[in-house]
Amino acid sequence: MTSGLTGFLIGTAFGASLLLSGLADPDKILGALRLKDFHAIRTIAVFVLVSMVGVWVLDLAGLANFSIKPATIWTVLAGGALLGVGFGMSGYCPGTGLACAAAGRIDALVSVVGMFAGALAFILVHPYVVGPLEATADFGKTTLPEITTSSSTLWVVPIAAIGAVVLWMTRPRKGKPIDQASSPREP
Amino acid sequence: MINEPVVKAPLNWLVGGLLLGLVQILAVAVHKPLGVSTQFAVVDSVAIHKAAPEYADSHPLIGKAEYRRAGYGFWLDVGLIFGAAVAAASVRMLKARTTTVWWRANHGRSPAARLSVCFVAGFLILMGARLAHGCTSGTFASGWAQLSLSALPFTLAMFGFGMAAARITYPKTPEIGR
Repeated sequence: MTSGLTGFLIGTAFGASLLLSGLADPDKILGALRLKDFHAIRTIAVFVLVSMVGVWVLDLAGLANFSIKPATIWTVLAGGALLGVGFGMSGYCPGTGLACAAAGRIDALVSVVGMFAGALAFILVHPYVVGPLEATADFGKTTLPEITTSSSTLWVVPIAAIGAVVLWMTRPRKGKPIDQASSPREP
Repeated sequence: MINEPVVKAPLNWLVGGLLLGLVQILAVAVHKPLGVSTQFAVVDSVAIHKAAPEYADSHPLIGKAEYRRAGYGFWLDVGLIFGAAVAAASVRMLKARTTTVWWRANHGRSPAARLSVCFVAGFLILMGARLAHGCTSGTFASGWAQLSLSALPFTLAMFGFGMAAARITYPKTPEIGR
């Protein structure tokens, strides 16, 4: 299978999952960022925990294809802050913006146009700003186990165990408004 | 202002999260972890290579081979759009809308302000994503899946500034649908 077709198929599964899970719903994202609606927070937590355990198992079996991003601390912090501001203003991020535009949301389509403009601005300022910033506090393409000289098992097992226990203990139940959005509709 | 509830997601949190996790595991098994935002720069870069080839060839970023043509990541984004459209149609969520429930609860029905805010937000989102080598997919979700060091500062900055921006933009809370 060509890599373009592989990408298309995985993208299709990802786009459908983003939409059906409610992450491609700016109202669910805003509810999460305002700590008023815990649906998206719980969904993201399960997403991250399942993939962390799955990638760990794949790695133990020698089947994982890693792609570690460089830990250039200043640009990662600045980038996270800028992305966070846009995320909190709109309820979109690049993946969910594309998914929501595909579902007919005109505001998401406008945010996608803004994203192409943002990418263009990044390309134009890159030689002057980004290169120098990346050169300071660059820890390289490293992982938490590598920088603490431990093993991935020592990270994954406790994080997954604690995460599962917390998700179980705070699970939404009938009559308890801990996660209103996920509890069944009242008659 | 307007009293309408936020609707439920098609899937509950456990099933939705499991599905997304399985897609990530599949992606890592067959090619590489999920990522979305690079392709915005790649599309811009391909256009710049057509319009100003000398500038593009000498550029430290878009002069690189992966910024010259559409590859795996580009087709992943095309698939994402296709998959989301099909899924939306299958659960009757495919419809034209300009604002959201949280927006209407705070700012009323006029779409002009919502669209302006979304353009600026999109600009900041991609500028930030490229600075951080990835977005909520590549640096956050795929970052934690691989226990990348960069996921930690990115998560703190993104959620900290995200929560602050949401509080300023959306002070009023609509009813959350049960």
